[in-house]
Amino acid sequence: MIKKAVILAAGEGKRLRPFTETMPKVMLPVANKPLLEYVFDATKKSGIDEIIVVVGYKKEVIMEHFKDYKNIKITYVIQDRQLGTAHALLQAKKHIKDTFIVLAGDNIIDSASISKLVKDPTDHALLIKEHPHPSKYGVVIVENRNISRIVEKPKEDIGKYISTGIYKLPRSVFSDIERCTAQGAHALSSVIQSLIEQGTHINTLLAKSWMDIVYPWDLITVNETMIQTTSEYTSGTIEKGVTIKGPVCIGKDTRIYAGCYIVGPVVIGNSCEIGPHTCIFPSTSIGNNTVVHPFSEIRSSVIMNDVHIASTAHISRSIIGKGCIIGDNFSTITGKTIIEIDNEFKKLEIPIGTMMGEDCSVESHVVVDPGKIIGRKCKISPMKHIRKNISSETKVM
Amino acid sequence: MCGIIGYVGFREARTVLLESLKRLDYRGYDSAGVAIIDKHLKTYKEVGEIANVEKKIPLLKGTTGIGHTRWATHGAVTKENAHPHLSCDKKIAIVHNGIIENYTALKEELKKKGHRFLSQTDSEVIVHLIDDVYKGNLEDALIAAIKKIKGSYAIVAVSQDEPGKIIGARNESPLVIGVGDSENFIASDITAFLKYTNRVMFLNDGELCVITTDSIQVLDRNKNHIKKKEELITWDVTDAEKSGFPHFMLKEIYDQPETVHHVLRGRISEMEEKITFPDPVEKLLKAELNSIHIVACGTSFYAGFVGKYLIEQLTNIPVFVEPASEYRYFGSRNETSLIIAITQSGETADTLAALREARLSGSKTLVITNIIGSTATRIADGYILQQSGPEIGVAATKTFTSQIMVLFLLALKIAIYQKKLGSNELYNYLLHLKYLPRHVRDVLERSDEIIAVASHLKDATSVFFIGRGINYPLSLEGALKLKEISYIHAEGFAAGELKHGPFALLTKDTPVVAIVTQDETYEKILANIGEIKARGSPVIAIAEDKDTEIENHADYVLRFPTSPHLLPCIPITVVLQLLAYHVADLRKCPIDKPRNLAKSVTVE
Repeated sequence: MIKKAVILAAGEGKRLRPFTETMPKVMLPVANKPLLEYVFDATKKSGIDEIIVVVGYKKEVIMEHFKDYKNIKITYVIQDRQLGTAHALLQAKKHIKDTFIVLAGDNIIDSASISKLVKDPTDHALLIKEHPHPSKYGVVIVENRNISRIVEKPKEDIGKYISTGIYKLPRSVFSDIERCTAQGAHALSSVIQSLIEQGTHINTLLAKSWMDIVYPWDLITVNETMIQTTSEYTSGTIEKGVTIKGPVCIGKDTRIYAGCYIVGPVVIGNSCEIGPHTCIFPSTSIGNNTVVHPFSEIRSSVIMNDVHIASTAHISRSIIGKGCIIGDNFSTITGKTIIEIDNEFKKLEIPIGTMMGEDCSVESHVVVDPGKIIGRKCKISPMKHIRKNISSETKVM
Repeated sequence: MCGIIGYVGFREARTVLLESLKRLDYRGYDSAGVAIIDKHLKTYKEVGEIANVEKKIPLLKGTTGIGHTRWATHGAVTKENAHPHLSCDKKIAIVHNGIIENYTALKEELKKKGHRFLSQTDSEVIVHLIDDVYKGNLEDALIAAIKKIKGSYAIVAVSQDEPGKIIGARNESPLVIGVGDSENFIASDITAFLKYTNRVMFLNDGELCVITTDSIQVLDRNKNHIKKKEELITWDVTDAEKSGFPHFMLKEIYDQPETVHHVLRGRISEMEEKITFPDPVEKLLKAELNSIHIVACGTSFYAGFVGKYLIEQLTNIPVFVEPASEYRYFGSRNETSLIIAITQSGETADTLAALREARLSGSKTLVITNIIGSTATRIADGYILQQSGPEIGVAATKTFTSQIMVLFLLALKIAIYQKKLGSNELYNYLLHLKYLPRHVRDVLERSDEIIAVASHLKDATSVFFIGRGINYPLSLEGALKLKEISYIHAEGFAAGELKHGPFALLTKDTPVVAIVTQDETYEKILANIGEIKARGSPVIAIAEDKDTEIENHADYVLRFPTSPHLLPCIPITVVLQLLAYHVADLRKCPIDKPRNLAKSVTVE
């Protein structure tokens, strides 16, 4: 029986800047819980009883958060330089004695799929998933349920199945990795490709649900899906005259003032103050210590910890980073648009509002065009209309 | 300070005792020892690290034992003086924390009766006192012994003739029982056994306990049974791990955006412009207040000193800050005065003594502490928890900023009761208090600049810290942090006092750290910097972001975010902590365990 899993959580997530400037990608909050916690939970539920986590970029954030995670034994190993997934996995070598599972800490996966992989009788196996846009992933060509080829980010349409990066591997893979990394190949998929070329059979299994976050706006859609899995509870103080419909979570010491209208699924963290007369609509998560003043409306958005939103704000399909202070009459415009990120132009298929990094301070009556990314620690003067992306630590006068 | 652990149960006592002693080692110690009943009573003790003892103990199967880490008070650091101490026939062993005041007289008396003493400690008299009257029942013998003792103690004893039984007694020194299943613990500090159980019972002064594998009896000195309630502790030992930071101190500095917020959590409401404390505290603050005395020791004393400025400026009530060790003997007392005692551990002996004195004289008492259920919370009329979580680094960091935050809320609450604050002013304070975690994060991000400046301080033999107003106690704290972890001589001064004496010490090699805020003292402190520069001493200014003038005056400038009056005290503290940390780190000092220092000082 497989007992151990290695979770790769050392990566930075450059394409998710500015949100990954102060935390690793795996710590991005989805329904007020870091991505990595979903992976831990699913792994635990699948029957694994020890997790080896490979950490690197901003490792303290991970280790500090999970110091209270009691559900499963966690061992940390450190990857000092982020060379690639195979190199990351190699760091866990001394903790592995038998066949094991390896997962990416930044992909959400269901526990049933992991169990399927654990129970599979073969030594080498990979979870694959059908994807509408396979070209940004490793595409897997399957023959007789075995992998015949993995092609990273293919230019043309060669197949619809992609690698989830979740493998079952025997201990012997470490010597294969050592051989490949010596030749300069640091990605796990290159190691697998070389195993196939040597005639190793690698079984494929279909994953039930699998989600990846590549760009900031993926956080909004993943949040929309995952917020439905949270169980309903209310704590704190809810004043008379508050309307709550559908599944809503309200944390400890939070106060919801009279006249608020909240339609679930909504998650609100601890020690928040909301209202009076504030509307929060479905698929919104609000972190801890956040304040939302009267007459504001928030829908389908991710509001992180310690945010302060003044009165009459309209925030829709947006991400507001930790510690932002937002003045009154702030408005996000949503729409499908083309976003430039990492020197690439991406056309959005769904409408998106503002994506604002940590610790920004926005004064009153600011309007932001659809799909604009505002870096962290930006300062925006009153009455500004933001029409383009703003890089971190910029002042808009 | 000294640590005690006792275990009786089904596990090998050897493993449990060593593990628990290691958990206590953050308190500082210079020698360690254990005694285990493995058919016979076997004792192992060594000077230095716990690992030295570990190497000496064979794999004993015994499941009853006691252990101790010693921080020398009476007698030098030697193997003989380390605990446990044994009776002449080597059948009874005890460990002890505290001070036996009448030990010389007792020792003479016992010597005359033929007892042989092997150590110079006061503790050894206890085991001989027990031995003297021991007739096969350890609790009876211990009761007889403590009736003769004057002083403070936490004693834990075992006897070879009564295996599977541990006796404990407490007076003015902490002792807690850990309740397990088919096993029980007794220790000076919950951390010692938290790995095994989080169910605890607190002993009060004058109480004894008899602990076996499956029973716990608490007795008074007349052997009457006392009913005790079990309490659940929500901390976990993993809390005390470093989370990837090189030192606990650095981790704890980086904890501060969180811990600063913890103080506010559930206590302030922005919409309602309200601050809420527990009812007993509200009652104390609502009453007529003519003066406030803050009593504390060490870093808590400096937190109290910051509190003086906060309370006086916001309420105009006179505040006296006094070291607890002085107040208990010399402080003035009256019934309309509120005594605020600040003690992180809730067990600081001097502060507890001062608190008891204040209560006796009819003053109202309020405690600010980190530990729920600690002795201080049980003595005072009301208590406020600072909620900073366990602090392992001996140099206090996050507990200091949390104490200041509590004092800030207290000052505002008193001002509300005294009707000294307008609603706009109050709202402004509440809002900016909530912004403080951001400001702390901001300072933490600029640690590179602080490291650069630290490299200019690392070879100094003496560093001065100066400030005016609320920045004066901060400069004292800055100097304390630097000296305790980097071993560089450091002094804090009120900036205006510098020319009345300390000036004589200034040379080109005496860096001066000046805390500069743009308030009514701004011009004055710039003038002071000018005077220092004229003597050739390098000046490091800690100044706010908006201050563009300061570069023309100081050699190096460290920045903190601008915020309204009084509030910068938190980010400035963080700058000072990081400065001390990085200087010590560059000098390769043992930052988490500075020499000769202990975390909570439970002797007077």
